[in-house]
Amino acid sequence: MLFRYLCLWLLSAVPLVAAAEQQPTLNVYTHPSFAAEWGPGPAIKVAFELECGCTLNFTVMESAGDILQRLRLEGQSTRADVVLGLDTATMETARQTGLLGKHLRRLDNLALPINWDDEHFVPFDWGYFAFVYDTEQLAEPPASLDALINAPDDLKIIIQDPRTSTPGLGLLLWMHSVYGDEASVKWQQLKGKILATTQSWSDGYFSLFMNGEAPMILSYSTSPAYHMAIDNTDRYQAAEFAEGHYLQVEVAALVASSQQQALAREFLDFMLTPNFQRHIPLKNVMYPAIDLGDELPDIFERLIKPSQTLFMAPVDVARDRRQLVNDWLDAMIR
Amino acid sequence: MLELDQLSFRYPGQTTGWQFGFSVAPGHCVAVHGASGTGKSTVLNLIAGFLEPDSGAIRLAGQAIQNLSPWERPVSSVFQEHNLFEHLDVATNIGLGLHSGLKLTSDQRQMIAQSLDRAGLAGFGYRMPAELSGGQRQRIALLRAILRRKPVLLLDEPMTGLDPDAKHNLRTMLLEEKARGAILVLASHDEEDRKVLADQVWNL
Amino acid sequence: MINRPSNAPLSHPYWQLVPGIVLGTGLIGLVLLGLGSLLVTAGHLDFSVVWSSRYLRGVVTFTLWQAVLSVLLSLLVAVPVALALARFHDFTGRALLLRLMELSLVLPTIVAVSGIIGVYGRQGWLTTMVSEWFPHHGWNLYGVNGILLAHVFFNAPLAARILLQTLEAVPAPRLRIASQLGLRGWWLWRTVHWPAMRPILPGLAALVFTLCFTSFAIIMTLGGGPATTTLEVAIYQALRFEFDFAQAALLAVIQLVICGSLWWLAFQKQMPTSLMPGRRFSNPITLRYSVSQRCLGAVLLWVFFVFLTLPLFAIILRGAPALVPLNGIPALYFQLLPATGRSLLIAIPAGLGAVLGALLTLAATHKSSGKMLSAIPVTAGYLPLVVPPLVLGTGLFLLLRPGLGNTAQGWALVSFINGLMALPFVIQVLRGPLAELDDNSRRLADQLGVLGWYRWRWLYWPRMRRPIALGLAYGTALSMGDFGVIALFGSPGQPTLPVLMYQQLSSYRVADAAGTGLWLLGLLMLIFVVLSAISRPAIRTQRVTASPSVVEPEHA
Repeated sequence: MLFRYLCLWLLSAVPLVAAAEQQPTLNVYTHPSFAAEWGPGPAIKVAFELECGCTLNFTVMESAGDILQRLRLEGQSTRADVVLGLDTATMETARQTGLLGKHLRRLDNLALPINWDDEHFVPFDWGYFAFVYDTEQLAEPPASLDALINAPDDLKIIIQDPRTSTPGLGLLLWMHSVYGDEASVKWQQLKGKILATTQSWSDGYFSLFMNGEAPMILSYSTSPAYHMAIDNTDRYQAAEFAEGHYLQVEVAALVASSQQQALAREFLDFMLTPNFQRHIPLKNVMYPAIDLGDELPDIFERLIKPSQTLFMAPVDVARDRRQLVNDWLDAMIR
Repeated sequence: MLELDQLSFRYPGQTTGWQFGFSVAPGHCVAVHGASGTGKSTVLNLIAGFLEPDSGAIRLAGQAIQNLSPWERPVSSVFQEHNLFEHLDVATNIGLGLHSGLKLTSDQRQMIAQSLDRAGLAGFGYRMPAELSGGQRQRIALLRAILRRKPVLLLDEPMTGLDPDAKHNLRTMLLEEKARGAILVLASHDEEDRKVLADQVWNL
Repeated sequence: MINRPSNAPLSHPYWQLVPGIVLGTGLIGLVLLGLGSLLVTAGHLDFSVVWSSRYLRGVVTFTLWQAVLSVLLSLLVAVPVALALARFHDFTGRALLLRLMELSLVLPTIVAVSGIIGVYGRQGWLTTMVSEWFPHHGWNLYGVNGILLAHVFFNAPLAARILLQTLEAVPAPRLRIASQLGLRGWWLWRTVHWPAMRPILPGLAALVFTLCFTSFAIIMTLGGGPATTTLEVAIYQALRFEFDFAQAALLAVIQLVICGSLWWLAFQKQMPTSLMPGRRFSNPITLRYSVSQRCLGAVLLWVFFVFLTLPLFAIILRGAPALVPLNGIPALYFQLLPATGRSLLIAIPAGLGAVLGALLTLAATHKSSGKMLSAIPVTAGYLPLVVPPLVLGTGLFLLLRPGLGNTAQGWALVSFINGLMALPFVIQVLRGPLAELDDNSRRLADQLGVLGWYRWRWLYWPRMRRPIALGLAYGTALSMGDFGVIALFGSPGQPTLPVLMYQQLSSYRVADAAGTGLWLLGLLMLIFVVLSAISRPAIRTQRVTASPSVVEPEHA
């Protein structure tokens, strides 16, 4: 029996080895939701392969953090040509590895809430962090960060840990952008309302929020779009905060050591065309990085439109992150 | 001829040890005699190779065997109890004596069945040891020892605790073996056993 | 001479020793290399950082504290449950309860935690129900309560399962004597049960301690906040987000030292297992139990049964809508089936490898003389528990970096590491039953030349097949439900089951993810049921076939 399984196992690996083709291959490191069957990945692969006469390969890492980690570990010997899925909170650290190349694109058709003139990173989507609430449990959500902080402690929220999660770090930067040095005090006031600080957004969303454990969870302003468009329910909505919302931009970059520089740049160009971008709104549940015009699903009109965009320069994030996390820990443990 | 030549042994921590020296001719039986705790089993274990002597020699037909592993020695043992593997049926228990990996020829299989018949245990091949009486278990153990056709049979109180019928059965089987030229070394505190089987006695 | 016994294949004593030692040395070397490559990359370590940082001191203290509490609670539940199971063979649903107990350890954390929350959370059934009667019960899952509850849920069944295996192996003569003397209560415990459990308790406690000490996702989800952080979280943070190899290596070393010294202590206290005779007698021995004891046992087992099943029901209720075909076959199946195939492809070799590794390791442990030599397999068996997978994986990655090529290699590596991670559990399952043969059987086997492979085939295999099946089930199931390792090395576009679930989770497909969770639960259950069924003794039909006797313990 053992032998038979072993043979089966080995046999099944053969086609994978044999599949290496003559066409040039572009290797893209990305995160799981992007490459999922229902994510934007498969459609984008088809569309790009039609244009480039190449094979597009996704290698899936657990999270944006892992893409960066993998790149660092592999260094010059990496097989990646493009990394896709880093964000504004991690991109400076990625740049400092010196492993990424300049994109040399003009990026003149971007539609972001901020100006973008980074020479390494090309944005492909964006969104705001926001608290999503369950309208059946909470009729009147707090209208501002201040209101949330000053709400009675029986309003429970779920957040993520800034040490392990992107939205978690987003909230930390959000609080810092609004309150500056007072953030620690505000965190202490918020503490009583935090039901759980989960490792990842998924843990919180799946295990806690969708189980009805708390009426509010730290998520994205675009989250309701999925529930409205795909689940056909208006039950989950984002609370708009008067102080403004913190921005996250997801980016891609080409790897300096890649043998496929031209192809990689072709991909970066392709990224900012409707053929790529039209898959972003409902399949990645984020705002597209270019103006899609009529192609933007109507649902997106019903999302909150923050009055103010909060954003810290990636350089500052890379410099201050550790200190901010430590301050946060201090405040939360005290 | 089985010879024990100044064979000495001492358990760790023991002050005085034993020294054994006797010889038995083919077709003969030596009874090792002594009260319990005097080393009857020790001598059998030394011959079987379960214990290592401090000095001296064991020879069979002039060949020294004291340095051989238990499985290389031309001997078969029958203990007072626990002679069978409890989780294996009777036929398997016997079969393992013929080939240690149970790779048996059809002749050998037949031989097992026939000898069970002759010992009055026809059809017992499929039984598990736990289903048998003490006398039946001992008969099967002896049967296996006999089928192995080793020149030396080591008997460690093989009949203790059995009823008279069972004892009689076993003695008959042993006498047959003796008649065929096997060397028997018998440890028994039973007067009757010695009288029936032994040709000579070694007193401890 | 009819037979040439020394021809038994693999009968040289080295065959029992060398493979295990080689394996052990290999594993230790791998871990050292993994850790070493981290340390080298890190440069220099400064232990004073830990003692001077209030946060890190807190982390170490909390980690220790919750682990100790979890061990005590888990054993407090496991011992009575194991005793009750050993006593009452006729408990209705015994087989089902045993399968459930096996399941809880291998359930992917996120699935199990969601089930626990569905029952004991703020909006959980039980909490809601209790709230109606006692509005001010003050129960709050989030915090230490939740951590302990989840740890007991995961570990008490494992501990009880291992203890039961030991209790079932109590030599029949001892039970007979107890039965004859009419021992009961305290005396029965002192003369029969305690001596049986005592030898494995230190190791078991160390196992549970290590599992709780390195617990990660449970603590973060249920812990309530960063005040409840374990070392493993801090290591993750250092490695994933700070890229601070020095800090990660430092914390990993601290973890290694704490858990390692515990294992060392546990093994100092270890009683020799070879004292345990392997003989069993056919008739189950009836011990005297009073009516009140029987009632108490039944109640205890029922409560435990409910404790284990409630969260599973929550998982079933949540996942069923995605799986039940209302109109046509749900599209989810077209993702589930191929993912299941890929998962099995990784999990089955991992399970087989873990069993083989465990057998070799244990054989070498029995065979090796000398403290240094016997320390190798023992250490290797437990090291995978103590070294955080992330550290091991990162280290290995640094080592293998240039060589890691195609998908197949990646999957083989994932399979290998999964097997490695399962090794300690499989060892725990096999350790008791693989005790040396008793003196009589050993002498008999020696004389008959039943050595090497033959000894394994005829003397060990018949009584090992059920423990091996259980070990295989643990190994396969652990690998099947593993989220961590596969993500570490990156997976191709085609997902395995956990990766599929991860994808669904990270793209709002909550219902599908719940369905996948349920599918995984069913599959894991199936693995245990199937392996338990095929390892049941066959009915004797052939002549001279090894048929495990009826006296084999019923549970394995």
